[in-house]
Amino acid sequence: MENMQARDLYSFYGKSPVILGVSFDLDPGEFLAVLGRNGVGKTTLLKSIMGLTDRCEGGLAFGSQDILGLSTPQRSKLGIAYIPQGREVIPQFTVRENILMGTFARPDGKRDIPDYLFEMFPILDEFISRRGGDLSGGQQQQLAIARALAMDPKILILDEPTEGIQPNIVKQIEDAIVRLNRERGLGIILVEQNVPFARTASDRFLVLDKGRVVLSGKSEDLTDDVVEKHLTF
Amino acid sequence: MDVIANQLFAGLSMASIMLMIALGLAIIYGAMGVINLAHGEFVMLGAYATWALQTYAGLGILPALPLVFVAVGAVGWVIEKVVVQNLYHRPLDTILATWGIGIILQQAVRLGVGAESRFVKGPELLSGNTEIGPLIMSNYRLFVIFFSIAVLWGSWLLMTRTEFGMKLRAIIQNRSISECYGIESKRVYSITFAYGAGLAGIAGALITPLFSTIPTMGTGLVVDAFLVVIVGGLGSLIGAATASVLIGEATALFSMIMNDTLGRIAVLAGIILLIRFRPRGLFPTETRR
Repeated sequence: MENMQARDLYSFYGKSPVILGVSFDLDPGEFLAVLGRNGVGKTTLLKSIMGLTDRCEGGLAFGSQDILGLSTPQRSKLGIAYIPQGREVIPQFTVRENILMGTFARPDGKRDIPDYLFEMFPILDEFISRRGGDLSGGQQQQLAIARALAMDPKILILDEPTEGIQPNIVKQIEDAIVRLNRERGLGIILVEQNVPFARTASDRFLVLDKGRVVLSGKSEDLTDDVVEKHLTF
Repeated sequence: MDVIANQLFAGLSMASIMLMIALGLAIIYGAMGVINLAHGEFVMLGAYATWALQTYAGLGILPALPLVFVAVGAVGWVIEKVVVQNLYHRPLDTILATWGIGIILQQAVRLGVGAESRFVKGPELLSGNTEIGPLIMSNYRLFVIFFSIAVLWGSWLLMTRTEFGMKLRAIIQNRSISECYGIESKRVYSITFAYGAGLAGIAGALITPLFSTIPTMGTGLVVDAFLVVIVGGLGSLIGAATASVLIGEATALFSMIMNDTLGRIAVLAGIILLIRFRPRGLFPTETRR
């Protein structure tokens, strides 16, 4: 398993830097929560890892490889799975096609959909022929996670996976994320607004403000004082 | 009655040619949002390639088809790599650039081969007519009709039944997330552009016995193809097929009732009216942007 390492990472949209010198480490199988108020660069940080911003500077390594010079598809083929905010399943594709799309990032070229996806999210099996765009928000989120898992990733990057989702499915999704980390050993980087969940699920956290890391540490240190100071408006 | 039947056949024949040309245009627009004004010149290149293969290698139209497809496809691939790929986020500039490429290709052929009309012989196998009662159908035109249907079918299979088609459809709907799942959108775009160009080349090869092969032949043809694409709905294969039949038949019938010029005016007026009420064409599809 590989670790991920960011060193003094800058990321730009056009000429404006949005991420200003962020560093973090993600050990194999570790769970990192990225916290912060709206508009501080959390989503941009995740996009920078995938190479979706206009330009990046600094260092970003996955395993022994520097990945800043790699294209987005090349990064995905290293085993980095990204589940964006708003899920972004392909609306005209069926559930099966959406999951199959995940396998396109497999470096071995296999096109098998692992069975455990359907044990984890039985609703996807039931709706296998429905179009992605016809599912509810929660079902789409489950589909987006299944799509990411179909590539047999080494780390999962999730951007507010429970945002705007009906409460009964939120729990399912949170449990699934924890299980993937604990049972399947997947490294996880999670952007989350729900601090109690981040505290119980993650090993470590970092708090972003205005594109910089203002605080980081072990998740048990994520006390109410910290939340009060950095995360409330 | 005989006249009508024969006119209907002429309309269908015209439709099949327009469809062949419009397909490549529709695929390139649907996939990349690029309005390729050099498309007519791809048709012209296909025609000249066929002429060259017949004149210098003694190859008939039918065996030349795969070679022409590959050759014009390769030209399209290079143009996509060198010019179009850098302009995907600047649609207006693409129009200008492809127009310029069209002029360059046209002048290159004029300089290299000459401006005079070139003659290409139709295949011996398909000479003669099939007659059903009073309806007289040229075998070659019949062949072109069936061939264009086959190409439509093949393109549809490519888009809906292959992994390549699935990747292309994924990119059309969401490019950045497709890239996050290992799809090399640049590569898919290059291949798609080359495929569209190759289709235009085949169309050019097939029309050599019916049209005179001159450097400016593409300009007139691409106008009709654009009409087909606009009426059908930008980027839609089924739309292109329906629209080419509609426009082909309408042109043939109006020409019979009035004359060629008035018939043309009537068809254009009809298209303007249709666009007034269905601005996105008969079968609008979701495209990028």
